[in-house]
Amino acid sequence: MKRTLPQSFVLYSGLVVVLLIIGLPFWWVITGSIKVPREIIARVPTMFPQSFTLQHFEKLFQSTDFPAYLVNSIGVALFSTVITVALALPAAYAFFRMRFPGRAALYRLILLAYAFPTIVVLIPIYGFFAKVGLIDTRTSLVIINVAFALPFSIWMMRSFLSTVPREIEEAAVIDGAPARVILLRIMAPLIAPGIASVAIFTFIASWTEYLFASVLIVSDARRTIPVGFAGIIGQYQIDWGLLLAGATAATIPVVILFAFVGRWFVSGLTEGAVK
Amino acid sequence: MKVGLLTIAGLTSILMSSAAFAEPVSLTLWHMEQPPHRVQRMQELLDEFNKAHPDVQVKQEPQSWGEIYAKAPAAFAAGTGPDMLFAIPDFTTVIKGIDAVVPVDDLAKDLDAKHGFVPATIAPYQYDGHTWAIPAYNMAISMWYRNSALKEAGIEVPKTWSEWKAAAEKLSKDGKYGVGLPANKQLYTDQTVYALMVNGGAADIYNEDGSISFDKPETVASFEAYGELQKLSPPDSTSWTWGEAEACFASASCGTILQFSVINTYETQAEADAADLGVAPVPHADGQSESGTISYSNAIMLTTKDEAKQAGAKVFLAWLMEPANYGRFLTMEPGLFLPVTNDGAEAESFWSDPIVTKYKSQVETMVANAKNGKLFGFTTGKVFPSIGAISGQNVIAESLQKMVVDGQSAADAVKFGQEKMSEIAGK
Amino acid sequence: MTSPRLAFLFVTPALLFLAAVLGRPLLQAVVLSFQNVGVIGTTGSWVGFENYATILGNTAFWNAFGRSALWVFANAVVQTIMALGVALLLNQKFPGVRIARTWIILTWIVPTVVVVIIWRWLLSTSGGMINPLLIQLGVIDRPVGFFATREGAMATLVMINSWRWFPFTALMMLAGLTRIPGDLYEAARIDGAGAMKRFTRITWPLLQPTLLVLGIVGTLLSFNVFDVIWLVTAGGPSQATQTLPVLIYETAFKGYRLSEAATISVLTSILLMTFALLATRAMTASEEAR
Repeated sequence: MKRTLPQSFVLYSGLVVVLLIIGLPFWWVITGSIKVPREIIARVPTMFPQSFTLQHFEKLFQSTDFPAYLVNSIGVALFSTVITVALALPAAYAFFRMRFPGRAALYRLILLAYAFPTIVVLIPIYGFFAKVGLIDTRTSLVIINVAFALPFSIWMMRSFLSTVPREIEEAAVIDGAPARVILLRIMAPLIAPGIASVAIFTFIASWTEYLFASVLIVSDARRTIPVGFAGIIGQYQIDWGLLLAGATAATIPVVILFAFVGRWFVSGLTEGAVK
Repeated sequence: MKVGLLTIAGLTSILMSSAAFAEPVSLTLWHMEQPPHRVQRMQELLDEFNKAHPDVQVKQEPQSWGEIYAKAPAAFAAGTGPDMLFAIPDFTTVIKGIDAVVPVDDLAKDLDAKHGFVPATIAPYQYDGHTWAIPAYNMAISMWYRNSALKEAGIEVPKTWSEWKAAAEKLSKDGKYGVGLPANKQLYTDQTVYALMVNGGAADIYNEDGSISFDKPETVASFEAYGELQKLSPPDSTSWTWGEAEACFASASCGTILQFSVINTYETQAEADAADLGVAPVPHADGQSESGTISYSNAIMLTTKDEAKQAGAKVFLAWLMEPANYGRFLTMEPGLFLPVTNDGAEAESFWSDPIVTKYKSQVETMVANAKNGKLFGFTTGKVFPSIGAISGQNVIAESLQKMVVDGQSAADAVKFGQEKMSEIAGK
Repeated sequence: MTSPRLAFLFVTPALLFLAAVLGRPLLQAVVLSFQNVGVIGTTGSWVGFENYATILGNTAFWNAFGRSALWVFANAVVQTIMALGVALLLNQKFPGVRIARTWIILTWIVPTVVVVIIWRWLLSTSGGMINPLLIQLGVIDRPVGFFATREGAMATLVMINSWRWFPFTALMMLAGLTRIPGDLYEAARIDGAGAMKRFTRITWPLLQPTLLVLGIVGTLLSFNVFDVIWLVTAGGPSQATQTLPVLIYETAFKGYRLSEAATISVLTSILLMTFALLATRAMTASEEAR
C-alpha cells in the first residue's frame, strides 16, 4: 500500500496544520511563562523569548499550594474514572444484551442528566450535600463527576458492545458461562477501546471540572487545579506572568501523566480486537 | 466494650469541661481577596490576632467574586455559611435580602468615634435604619497617564471631557491608542461608564420613590462623551476587564486609562519610574467645575446569629481597624486598597509600605479622589433591593454596548437602559 | 437469554447512583419552576404556570434559544470537519503516528478556565499573538477586535470552544474508524473503488453508530457549554452570545429570579429530551436496518 506523491503531500501538510493549530498556543503560553513581564504584554509580541526568568514560577510555588491542588485533582480524577467504569460497564451490558421491563425508557431517561443545564442543579445539590455533610470534601467532587460521566459512558460502551460479533458471545453462552464471566472475560477485552475512551472522557472531565469544584469546596487545601488556577486571577489586577506560569503548571502534570499512560490508552482506543 | 464506652464518656466530659472554662470562639471569615499574596498577608494578620486573643480564633477561607453570589446564599440556606463575609454594597443588599446579615450599628458608631470613617465609605451600607457592614477598604477610579507622554505631545493633564478627547487624539499615533476605555458586558465597564456619569451630573439612577431615573439628558451626554473616547480605544476593548486595560497601559499602548490603580502593574510589568506615572481625577463634563468618581467601599458583614460569635467578630473587627494593624491590612495590595478611616489615612503602618512610599504622591491623589466617590444605586440615602439585579446584570455596560457595538444613538442606548432597569425594579 | 433479576443487578448500581445524586435536584428544579422564589435560599409560594407563561412570552428566551441552536450547529459543523479530518489523517500509517495519536488530545486536557485565559491573552492587543500573526499573513492590515461585533464574538467563541473539543471528537471517531475491518477496503480496492467511493460506501456508513452517539450526546454537551461563553463575553456584546445556559445563569444568579431560571431550564430540557428521543429513534431504526 504505497501512497502517491499528492497523497503524501495532503497527509503531511494536513499534519503540519494540525500541529500548528494545537501546538502554537501552547508554545506561546509556555515561552510566555519564562518571559519578563514587560515582554509578555509588549505591543509587538515576540515569537521566541528575548528574556528568561523563573520569577513567575517562583511566585506561583511560593505563594500558592499548587502541589496540593495537583494531588487533589489527580486523586479526584482517578477515583471518578475507576468508579465510572465500574458502574458503566455492567449497566451498558445490561442495556445492550439483557431484557428487562423499562429498558428502552430508562436508557433514554439517563440522558436527562445532560438535558438539564448543570447550573440549575448546583444549588439543590449544594443543599443536599450540606445535609449529608459532604460540603468541602473531595468525595463530593468524585460523586458529581461520576454522575455526570455515567450517562455518556453507558451510551458509549453500549455502542461499542453493539459492534462485537454476536457469534463470540453466543459461543460463551452455549458453554454455560454466567453473565458476569461473559462480561468480564469475553466482552470487556473486546471492547477495550470503549473502556479506554470512557476512561479518558471521565478523567479529563473530572480533571477540568470547575463549577462544582468551585462551589462545593470551601477550604484552600482541598481545591483542585482549575479552581486554584482561577484563584490567582485577581479581580482588579491581573499578573499575566503568574497566570501563564499557572497555565503551564496546570498543563504539564497531565502531559507527564499522559506520557506514561497515554500510549496504553490510545492503543486501547484504536487497536481493539476487531480487525 | 464497656471500658471503651466509659473512656469515650470520660474524654467527652473532660473536653466539655475544658471548653466550659476557656470558651474559645472560632470564627470563619470568607473574603474574595484570593490572589496569593493577599491571602498570605491576611494569614499573617490572623496569626497575630489569634495569638493575642486565645479566646477568639479566626480562620480565613478565600472565595472568588465569580461564584460568591451563588455560593454564599446556598451556604447560608444550608447552614454552612461563614461568620464574617466581605462585601461590596450591592452584594450586601443580596445577603440582606435573605436575612443572613446582622446590623453592626454600635460597632460602627464606636469605630467612627475612634477612627472617623470617611463618609463616602460607610454611606452605602447605611439604610433602612441600620449599618449593615463595617467598611474595610476603599477603591476609587482615577485617570492614569504618563507624564513623559503628555509632555512629548505638548499637552496638559486633561480636566474636561473635551480636553481629554483632544489629548487622546494627539496621543493616538504610531499604532498607540490615546485612551483605553472598555465596552465589555462586565463590572469594569459599569464602573468606567458610571465614572463619566458622575462627572456629567447623572450620578443618581433612582428617584426618591424607587423608580428609575437613568434616562435623562445628563446620562445621554455622558454616553456620548464615552462613545467618542471609546472610538479611540484599542479594538479589543469590547472584551476587556481590568487586567487588559492595565496591560494596555503598562505596555504604553494606551495613553490614558480609567482604573482603580495601576501602581502594582506599573511597578512590576512596566518601567517602574515613579516620577513618570501620572494620576488625576476623572475629567468632568465641560459644564461642570469639579471632578467626582465612582468608589467601591469594600466592607465586612457579620453573618452569624450566634451572640458569642458576634461578640468575638466585633473584637476582631475592632482590632483590624486599629491603625497599627489596619495599614498592613490595606497594603495586602499596596497602592490599590485605600483607607476608609481618617486614622487609617494617616497610619504609619500604611505609608511605610515600600510601594506606597515609592508612589506616595500618586497614593495621595487617589485618597483625595476617593473622598468624592459615589456608587450607582447608593447615592440618595435610600437603597432599593433592585440595585442587586441591576448591578449583577451589568445593565449600564449592556446599554453602552447597544451604542458601541450595535451603533445605536446614545439616546436610544440610554432609553434601553432605562427600560431594562425599570423592568428589573418592577419585579 | 438472561433473567430480568440479573439484569437489574447489572443496571441498578448505576441507575441508583444517578437517581440519588441527580434525581432529587432535578425534581427540585421542576418544583421551583412552579413557585416564585427570587434569591437562592429564600422561600416562595406556588404560582402555577405563571412562570411558564412569562417565559414563553419573553423574547429574551426565544432569542437565546435561537442563539443556542446556532451555537450547537456551528460547533457541530466546525468540530465535525476538524475532527473527521484529523481522524482520517491519524488513521493512516506514517512514522510517529502513535505519538500523534497520543498527543492529539493536548488541547482537551487543559481546564476551561485556563483555555479562556490563554485565549483572552492571545486575542488581546497587549501581548496577544493572533493579531500580529494575521497581519504578517496578510489577512488583516491592522489589529482587529475579535469581540467587537456580534458575529465576530460568536464566531470567535465557537473557534475557542472547538479548539478545545475537536481532539476529543477526533479520538472518538478514530476509535470508530479503527474498528472498520481493513479487508473491506482491500475488497473495495480490488473492485476498483476510488478513495471517494471508499469513503462514502465504507467509512461513512460504518462510522454511523459512533457518529450518532457523538451527535446526540455531543449536542447535549455542547448545548450546555457555559463557562467558555460566560468567562469571555458574559453573553455580550449586546447579548449576541447569550445562549440559554447563559440566560439561565444570569436570571438565577445575577437577576435573582431563581424560579424563572428553573422554568427556562425545564423548558430547555423538554426541548433537549425531545431532540434526544427523536435522534435515538433514528439511531435504533438505522441499527435495525442493518
